[in-house]
Amino acid sequence: MVLPPVAVVAVFIGFPVGAAIAYTLGRAGGPNSTVALLAQRQHIVHHGVTTAAYREVLGNPHVRADLWATVWVTLVTIVVVVLLSWAIGLYLRLSDTRISRIVSALSVIPLFIPVVIASYAILTFYASQGFIKTLAYHLGWHSFPTLGYTLTAVAIGEIWVNVPFGVLMMSSGLNSVPNALIEAARDSGASLPRTVRSVLLPMNVIPTVIVATFTGIYVLGSFTVPYLTGPSAPNLMGVSMANFFSAFNQPQQAEVMAMIVFVLAVGIGTIYVWANVRASKRASITS
Amino acid sequence: MSAIEQQGVALGGLEQAELPVARPTRRRMPTPRAAVLRGLGFVFVVALLVFMVGPLVWLAVRAFSGIWQYPRFWPSHWTLQWWRTVFDDKSLGRSMKLSFEFAPVVTVASAAICLPAAYAFSRFNFPGRRVLLVSLFATNAFPKIGLYISMAGVFYSLNLMGTFLGVVIVQLIGTIVFMTWIPTAAFSAIPRSLEEAARDVGAGPLRVFFRVTFPLAAPGIFVAMILSFLAAFDEAQGTFLVGIPNYITMPTEMYTLVLNYPEQAAAVFSILLAIPSVVLMSLARKHVMGGKLAEGFQIR
Repeated sequence: MVLPPVAVVAVFIGFPVGAAIAYTLGRAGGPNSTVALLAQRQHIVHHGVTTAAYREVLGNPHVRADLWATVWVTLVTIVVVVLLSWAIGLYLRLSDTRISRIVSALSVIPLFIPVVIASYAILTFYASQGFIKTLAYHLGWHSFPTLGYTLTAVAIGEIWVNVPFGVLMMSSGLNSVPNALIEAARDSGASLPRTVRSVLLPMNVIPTVIVATFTGIYVLGSFTVPYLTGPSAPNLMGVSMANFFSAFNQPQQAEVMAMIVFVLAVGIGTIYVWANVRASKRASITS
Repeated sequence: MSAIEQQGVALGGLEQAELPVARPTRRRMPTPRAAVLRGLGFVFVVALLVFMVGPLVWLAVRAFSGIWQYPRFWPSHWTLQWWRTVFDDKSLGRSMKLSFEFAPVVTVASAAICLPAAYAFSRFNFPGRRVLLVSLFATNAFPKIGLYISMAGVFYSLNLMGTFLGVVIVQLIGTIVFMTWIPTAAFSAIPRSLEEAARDVGAGPLRVFFRVTFPLAAPGIFVAMILSFLAAFDEAQGTFLVGIPNYITMPTEMYTLVLNYPEQAAAVFSILLAIPSVVLMSLARKHVMGGKLAEGFQIR
């Protein structure tokens, strides 16, 4: 029963990824021959492997700038999304008013909107004639910077897209903490920040890790948000990967960049798997 | 309320009225500190409102704007002409139709492939189970563009480039993780004792599955199907790479539109493209907010 999806993944993801690894190391035969036929600036060997493509890509200052941009935007997005999801999750957990219900509805809106449209909407909102500039103008701040087509806009877009998942994870995690525990802490004199620190935080490590890792992996591999809202250079790796492939006709270099991003994503993914395995081991001991 | 629903309530979600801790506080005059906190809370909510909804409203207004000069907050002249522009364009109509053909096919195919696996993942503890669940997740970690470039080679050799099946496969790949993980969690949440009880009173295995297991897991499966439908519906890059020139779907068209058409036409198209997402997510909203999505992301 498990076979069909595993087979689909193996044939249409595992196999191409394997071929891509071989291609980045200089092997252009087999499944790579069609792509390699028309490609430019390839580093090909017929025996053994070569790291020439990696050296070329990592030696390219533009790619290095893209890589740093990617790392920065990813880190900023992770931090903001985790903080925002915690803040909103806590607010929803601890208060039940009309305002908290509005906040809960607001925070999941991006789930309803396709990413292409969200990116376009965010671009126009922060553009040179967008709402933010208009507002700043009316408040007398005429030199307010234009955020459209900057890395800041990319980070804003990534945060916007990832907030609902964060809030859903965190509120699900926070809601599974029994009221009795919170009340016990408050009754024995703990302040609210203390309660959060000593009760809610330790019990919600896993959801926090899930939010951080999935957000990170999403941003690393994203294309639409940086493509529509970001600058032409430096931009995130997803965009420059596509450029190397379609505009420069250098698929090997594009694949090398994909490998670099993949390594970063796997690094993040390892944290997620480690946290989950640790938690389920602990659960099986206690139960 | 069924046992599962009760469990769902205990596990929690966004929408439960009884959960929040109402502190029995003595009413007194608000201290300056409390007033400041309240003020900060208000600013936070307004900022969140602008951040979340602002861009969408700003874009929606554009779809009806004739003349809109900076720095005005709204257009000085309103018009519907952009809607006519979009509806008169034949290629846009075709792309809408195509989108609605691909997404259901992909969703059904994905369900047929993944749901049996989800059941197996939750009910049988076979060797390599967790490794397989995690490796499905690893498919999400490889950047999509890198994957599509390399997949193109495989597709060429299988003659899938520019075919309906090729596009279905490209879109299907993006749905496998949802379609496996979320139903796995949904099946796992059903106590085995319920199935055993049904079997004890004489129900056969198929009857147990269709009368007990499936109805209880249905909300989770429903969420997974909606998310898959939307993932397929919104997929643009892979479809573009594999589908041209025969199959241009709505989101693929959106890229060209954003770059080549007046802003207002892109805004109209955005609204049209968002309608299915809004409608479908509204249907699944209760379950998504109730934690069905969140449960799927914890590997057990």
